[in-house]
Amino acid sequence: MFDISVIYDAGVVGLRMVMPLFAIIIVYQCYAAMRRRRRPEKPLVSLYNPRSGGMIPVVFWENSIGRSKSSDIVINDLSVSRNHCVLLRRSAGWFVSDVGSVTGTYVNGVPIHGRAQVLIDDIITIGSTEYRLKRGDDFNSPLRSSRFFSKVSDKPAIQAWKLMFMITLFHLFMAVEAMFWNDGTNVYSPLILFGVMAVVEWGFFSVSYFALRRVNFELEALGLFLTGIGVMMLIRQVERSAYVQLIAMGIGIALYCVIVKFIEDPDRVQKIRIPMMIISCAMLASTIVLGKATNGAANWVYIGSISFQPSEFVKTIFIFVGASPLDKLQTKRNLIEFTIYSAVCVALLALMSDFGTALIFFVTFLLVVFMRSGDIKTVLIPIGAVIAAFFSMRFLAEKISFIGDRFNYVLNRFKAYRHVWDYADVSAGYQQVRVLTYIASGGLFGVGIGNGYFKQYFASESDLVFALVAEEMGVIVAIVLALSVALLMLYARAITTRARSTFYSISACCAAGLLVVQLSLNVFGATDILPLTGVTFPFISAGGSSVISCWGLLAFIKAADERTYSIKR
Amino acid sequence: MKRTLRRSTLILIFTIAFIIGIGFFTVELVIEAKDWVDQPYNAHISGNGGLEQAGKILDRNGNRLAETIDGERVYNDDEGVRKALLHTVGDNSLNISTAVQSKYRSNLTGYSLIWGLNMPQSMRTSRDITLTVDSETCKTAYNMLQSGFEEPKRGACVVYNYKTGEVICSVSTPGYDPEDPPKITEDNESIYDGVYLDNVLSSTYTPGSIFKIVTAAAAVENIPDLYERTWYCEGVEEIGGHEVHCYDSTAHGDVNIYEAMEHSCNIVFAKLAVELGSEKMNAMAEKMGVNMSFNVDDVKTAKGHYNAPKNDVNVLGWTGVGQGSGEYEDKVNPMQMAIICASVANGGTAVNPSYIKSGTGDILKDIGIKHNKTYNFLSSDTARQVGEIMPEYSIGGLTVRAKTGTAEVNEDKNPNSWFVGYSADSDCPLAFACVVEDSGMGSSYARPVIEAVLSTAAERLRGKM
Repeated sequence: MFDISVIYDAGVVGLRMVMPLFAIIIVYQCYAAMRRRRRPEKPLVSLYNPRSGGMIPVVFWENSIGRSKSSDIVINDLSVSRNHCVLLRRSAGWFVSDVGSVTGTYVNGVPIHGRAQVLIDDIITIGSTEYRLKRGDDFNSPLRSSRFFSKVSDKPAIQAWKLMFMITLFHLFMAVEAMFWNDGTNVYSPLILFGVMAVVEWGFFSVSYFALRRVNFELEALGLFLTGIGVMMLIRQVERSAYVQLIAMGIGIALYCVIVKFIEDPDRVQKIRIPMMIISCAMLASTIVLGKATNGAANWVYIGSISFQPSEFVKTIFIFVGASPLDKLQTKRNLIEFTIYSAVCVALLALMSDFGTALIFFVTFLLVVFMRSGDIKTVLIPIGAVIAAFFSMRFLAEKISFIGDRFNYVLNRFKAYRHVWDYADVSAGYQQVRVLTYIASGGLFGVGIGNGYFKQYFASESDLVFALVAEEMGVIVAIVLALSVALLMLYARAITTRARSTFYSISACCAAGLLVVQLSLNVFGATDILPLTGVTFPFISAGGSSVISCWGLLAFIKAADERTYSIKR
Repeated sequence: MKRTLRRSTLILIFTIAFIIGIGFFTVELVIEAKDWVDQPYNAHISGNGGLEQAGKILDRNGNRLAETIDGERVYNDDEGVRKALLHTVGDNSLNISTAVQSKYRSNLTGYSLIWGLNMPQSMRTSRDITLTVDSETCKTAYNMLQSGFEEPKRGACVVYNYKTGEVICSVSTPGYDPEDPPKITEDNESIYDGVYLDNVLSSTYTPGSIFKIVTAAAAVENIPDLYERTWYCEGVEEIGGHEVHCYDSTAHGDVNIYEAMEHSCNIVFAKLAVELGSEKMNAMAEKMGVNMSFNVDDVKTAKGHYNAPKNDVNVLGWTGVGQGSGEYEDKVNPMQMAIICASVANGGTAVNPSYIKSGTGDILKDIGIKHNKTYNFLSSDTARQVGEIMPEYSIGGLTVRAKTGTAEVNEDKNPNSWFVGYSADSDCPLAFACVVEDSGMGSSYARPVIEAVLSTAAERLRGKM
């Protein structure tokens, strides 16, 4: 007798084994496509020195000019200040902006204040040197290109719709797997969810491709891939949450589109920095008043039946406020405003006992100030201050029970760090040992969507989702997904100098940095490699606010890509 | 722009740190995944879970100790064998954490790093584990402890081959039938108190006179004229301001070292301990592994305890006869005592015991080229002399050197009875330790248990060899 169950067994196992390979191919294709369709490495304009006959290529959208070795255009002339002026490109053309030089900057002999437009063949006088603005084509020696953009094979990247097709297929496989494991009820619910999700994904793709006429979709595709996995993981856990997650995905995509459009003009953003700061502080403060404590951290606000975490949205604003264009960066070196704002945010979060998010904000603050100032002191001093604050709180915790209660949980967790097996049945190590056990139980290929046991634990779909994915889809998929988020940083860094303004470079790097920090706390906190838990896995963890804010952050990386605004299909 | 790029290196460092962290986690996973899986709360294997497909557990002669038939876990047909090997084999639950079915559950259920606990049905092969124990010998020990005396006794009995390390017999009481595990309620709590604990590996007891083996070893090494000496024992003597007495204050008269050991004279050994001083006594105890935990198939044995006081001469004397008091109280573990006796038997070198013959995925062990760890406790000369000082017995055709012990415990209980030693026969090289709680003289409780067990063991081993 032929046993049908052998085929069934082989089919399910085969599917599970294909998934990791498929995930690797998708992530690879997303990143491979990011390198393609780049403009060739050649100057945008050039500066001609009539006296010496020399020609300087201008390769960036924003170029610092000065005597300092680290300037984009170095002029060895004692009459030039270390940071003299900034030559920048906007949609209206080229501008030069004096950033507080001693001898001043002149366009066609007229001294400038603030930004002044320069046209081709205009004379820019910097110190005692005169330059004539020429077209980029006038410069004809080759330029050295960065590794990310050089040696790109001529083979065109996978077409966006093909990439989308692969991602949809991956989600379909997940739905099919989820159909196998059920208690006989709602057999087809994963398929229904998949159908709705496919409509959202392809709808977004169509808007981007046909309405906005964008050629590139790989960053969005990666976001959809990850968010879709998060939605699908929920179908055999709490079906309602899966739909909530799907709605959040829709809102996140909308927010993404709005932010990309809104920050098209980097100067416009500067005008609303102060209102944004006030709004975000007010949001956090209102959380303290209205917020309800859920599992230790009082970071939830309920309006009717809708609940959300304002701290997640503030993350997006935080990046806005931190970044600025190059000439503003050089004239306004004062970081006090941003420091006070950050201190207020972190303090409000600490008051909510949301220490995970507070730490993310703090590290992002360090990234922003370092990106702006380049001074390692600006990083070390706040770190010292926080360590001092931690120990003084620890001292206070013993004296005042109000603070003590909030701190004891954190301190207990520190005590169990790297000894979780000794605390397997108390709160300090309970989650971590279960995470490790179920990750190991899943093996390389997982036990199948909905077939695991870890989903029964509290927070398995949010803070501990790494273990949920590892148990049900295998540890390979879990690690590939984590790396795909971490690699966003490499991408953000690779496009740093190609961005249309330092506003974009700084915001993209900081947004990617924030995601990496959050990812590290999530994955390493759950697996006891770091002593902290309580933050979400970007894009995948259940939680509407979290998903929406991740899409908001992704928008900054998209905006830093010069192809976003300049190339149309 | 160049500056921005340079500064973004800081963020790059975070990414690199993350990738290193993932690498670290992967290494941890590969090394420790097996231990992570074997947890009582793991729903993939808990309850009856996982045992539906588990392999067999066999004793040294291939007798079934546990097997899954049609999804049901069944144990040995003989109830006595089932109860005797409860703590070694385990039951369906993971309550007895040191048992094979708990420790190696992932092995039995076919865990692999690649498949986790979800190996496809068609690829599963049964993984059998063969143990070194002899089920008949264990049953004899269990029956003696359970029904050899006026009432069932708590205790432990362990016998192992000191040449190869194979554990032949390991029994802990109280036990229960793994096919019918008791529901423990408030009413029967006291009967089943500590039932999940394997006393052989995880309990410590006051040693009493069996500790004189250690004191004798210290004397052999440090007192040159030990064999010329005689002592006079009146049964009671004041040492260090307080009394030291022999059992029941029996006077032994003029004794040399052999007679002192034979009669288990506390006066002589207390005097020896005082003469040697706390430093030498502590050094010898340390050297013979009294304060050490042994790793038996990844289970750490309960640590013994010996710490002689510097200033209190009377307590120093008492620690030399295996009693001590307060923070200076002597404690030993049954498996540890068997290991110490094994070192005396084997020229000063003890072979670490093991319950596993094959099947735990340790390939070197399966093909028989991995040898158990050894401990060098004594010089071969000291070991020989200590062995000669230990009284000789003839049990079941074996020439046995052994020491009884009657350890007084502080509560309102009868003493713990001990019998530890080894057989000198080269075809049946066995070291053993037996303790019977709340009983009486070593010679009337622990010794009969060992006599029965060694007779069975010798018969079984010689019959097979």
